[in-house]
Amino acid sequence: MATEAVGGETPTLFLRKATGLVRGWSVRDSLIYACLATNFVTLGIYEFTFAGPAFPKGQLLTSVVISGIWVSFLVVAYAGLIVTIPRAGGDYVWQTRILGSGIGFVMAATGWWFILWLWAPIYGNILSVQFFQPIWATLKWTWPGGGYAWFATNNGVFIVTVITIVIAGFLVSLGMGGYARIQKWAFIGGLIGFAVVVGLLLFNSHASFVSSFNYEGMHLFGVKNAYAATNAAAVKAGYTTSPFGFGPLGPTMLLVPAMMFFILWPNWGATLYGEIRGASDFRRVFSGMFIGLWITVILTVIFFLVIAKTVGWGFYQNLNSLDYNLTPQFGIWPYPFLFAGWLVHNTAFQVILLLVLSLWFFGWVGTLFLSSTRVIFAAAFDRVLPDRAAEVSEKRKVPFYSLILMLAPAIILGAIYAYSATFRTYTLDATLVIAVTYLFSAIAVVLLPFIKKDLWRASPASRIKIFGVQIVPVAGWITIALLVYNLVMWLWKDQYYVNSHDSLLYMLAMYVLAIVIFVVARIVRRRQGIDLGLINKEIPVE
Amino acid sequence: MKIFFATDIHGSEVCWRKFLNSAAFYKADLVILGGDVTGKVMVPIIDYGGRWKVTVRGQEYTLESADELENIKKQIRNAGSYPAIVSPDELKHMSEEEGAVDRRFTVEMTESLDRWLDMADGKLHGGDIPCILNGGNDDIWEIDDIIEQSPCVSFAEGKVLDLDGFSLVSMGWTNPTPWDTFREASESELAAKIEAVASQVPDMGRTIFNFHAPPYGTGLDEAPALDSTLRPIHGGAVMKPVGSMAVRDAIMQHQPMLSVHGHIHESRAVKKMGRTLAINPGSVYGDGVLQGAVIDLNAKKGKVQRYLLVNG
Repeated sequence: MATEAVGGETPTLFLRKATGLVRGWSVRDSLIYACLATNFVTLGIYEFTFAGPAFPKGQLLTSVVISGIWVSFLVVAYAGLIVTIPRAGGDYVWQTRILGSGIGFVMAATGWWFILWLWAPIYGNILSVQFFQPIWATLKWTWPGGGYAWFATNNGVFIVTVITIVIAGFLVSLGMGGYARIQKWAFIGGLIGFAVVVGLLLFNSHASFVSSFNYEGMHLFGVKNAYAATNAAAVKAGYTTSPFGFGPLGPTMLLVPAMMFFILWPNWGATLYGEIRGASDFRRVFSGMFIGLWITVILTVIFFLVIAKTVGWGFYQNLNSLDYNLTPQFGIWPYPFLFAGWLVHNTAFQVILLLVLSLWFFGWVGTLFLSSTRVIFAAAFDRVLPDRAAEVSEKRKVPFYSLILMLAPAIILGAIYAYSATFRTYTLDATLVIAVTYLFSAIAVVLLPFIKKDLWRASPASRIKIFGVQIVPVAGWITIALLVYNLVMWLWKDQYYVNSHDSLLYMLAMYVLAIVIFVVARIVRRRQGIDLGLINKEIPVE
Repeated sequence: MKIFFATDIHGSEVCWRKFLNSAAFYKADLVILGGDVTGKVMVPIIDYGGRWKVTVRGQEYTLESADELENIKKQIRNAGSYPAIVSPDELKHMSEEEGAVDRRFTVEMTESLDRWLDMADGKLHGGDIPCILNGGNDDIWEIDDIIEQSPCVSFAEGKVLDLDGFSLVSMGWTNPTPWDTFREASESELAAKIEAVASQVPDMGRTIFNFHAPPYGTGLDEAPALDSTLRPIHGGAVMKPVGSMAVRDAIMQHQPMLSVHGHIHESRAVKKMGRTLAINPGSVYGDGVLQGAVIDLNAKKGKVQRYLLVNG
């Protein structure tokens, strides 16, 4: 038998050659996933359009940095969970093990399954405003009726949502291997596209931007002196923005819950595992998510700086405010990269730039259903869902039934989203419900040392200390504070559009649905002679 | 008849103890451990004459008393590793002489298994509760004789055992892995081995296959895809089927009522393959949690009545 000594001159352990002894995974792979999950282009820029005008006295720059620091503690807490219980299924597994089957199922079903039905039309809307509309406008295509404007109609939103669902479903059917390859190249391409935008904005003056904006505004949309017109329209609407800077802190803190829409997801792909674990694995798991998160924060800061330098901060905010008030300039969502491309008066260049930047979307869209199918599988193996939910087609290896459980409701909600303006305001519900799921995982982190003492004692996470204090539980508490703060703000302040009667009913319905499924499953399984209470009951050791 | 099936505990003493208690806990009539009983890691504890030094999961400990030593040995065993007390000279010798570590590994594995079987004698009431073990591809050959000689455990490797009217066919061999382990065979050889034992079964309708290797492409065999240096690609998130075609063909051809598997720890899954219910309960032995399957068989109808995957 072949063996390997670990620990240098004085070996600290010997490994014999056996199945599954693999080398550690590369941090690069996990940071790409984390960076695309906290997608500053598809989610961040999309959210700034709403957040800036909703809280005009706050500073986006400061709020992103504060959010990045705060979410870093969530990364520490999740890294602790991952290295302690490194399982596919993530929150579902941790919560069912630590907090109990019922809580685990309800939180995972709502946060990783039901709420992603709502993310489908949100993804669709992003595809519409960052891909179809700007490309159609640039090429001056008039088909379908109304050209680019058609994509903002109810029918347009619905069709693009269906396209998004089909693309996401297709990527899931490719399997993680095919999707990961697409993701890697999309990330590289997306970064190149962003570098081109930064270069354009860095090496052109404010005057040349104004001139280009006016030129293309006239050329593409027939609007005269568009730059001045935009500012005038915002002033007329009563919107006043704060100059670019760092404070004041109070209003800036109100932006933090809005920033969660894109920055709360560095742990999205956190189901990595291996058999040889130790403190170095904690660092590796942590590093992937942490570096991914901070690449997002840094890209966002760079974006703000070049916007302030060349586009003009006040103008950028004015553009956003017009869209926020449902009177967007040119009748199109104010996509900053579209306007940056206008610095080069060449249609082919502008379209290619938009296509390259759309890689941020196409590299990310598969995340819509991938995690959900894993949670559905885990719940089916636990007999909470019918066995069929975990079936994979023989020929193509497609998780047919779990995809149906995702796709069918997503299409229905996509239709409601497309044809109901009220429902569209529930966008932050999509963040809130997942944040509640995270909250329970954060609670699991702080309870872990008390509930699963042996597991915690054996975990590399228990040995991560600063001044003798275990930092993972501390990070768990800070994560709880982050999530509670956000939940309180979302439910308290009207500007987030979360605390309306219908929105609350919508979210409540999802929790009720999850509870009903769990209770029905227990009753049905009991009648079949299966006690679901046994699933996570620990066998006595002695 | 109620069966508890677990697998791949890889030297974890806490999982072994739980396995021995599983019959009482789940009210099972029979318990089966489906191979890969032995561990993969040996941790040297350096003896400086009444004082010991050891590194456990990256942290160095100096042990001053026999109690501390026992405590750390327990921790190491529970994690699925073998504590090996060595003098500084022995450690140097082990590091330098080819084969010395292998020999010590074998000693630790066999002694540990001896101790485990002694524990089993008490817990299983001298064999009143049927307990079946077979090898896995990672198990050294030396364990076969040790288990075979145990009075309270049946060694099932390569045999057909009668379980109250049901036949249990067991096989610890697997298709080739990148690690070139003990019980590996090409698909054609594996098919021949399976056929040799399966052909002895009187009634496939009342048969359980207990094959360590899971059937290929069924979801019971999804492992992280590795590059040529055995590093998981794409952050370990990309999985690929690594099971056995021979096992799959045997199941599809013979259609036993139940087929239980292990080998691929990450691939906790259930799959209906024609008439056969195939189960891999997976393994998380490193956490000290015993994953398993509680399976009720209907003796009259000769079918699986119900099952539940558990994290005990």
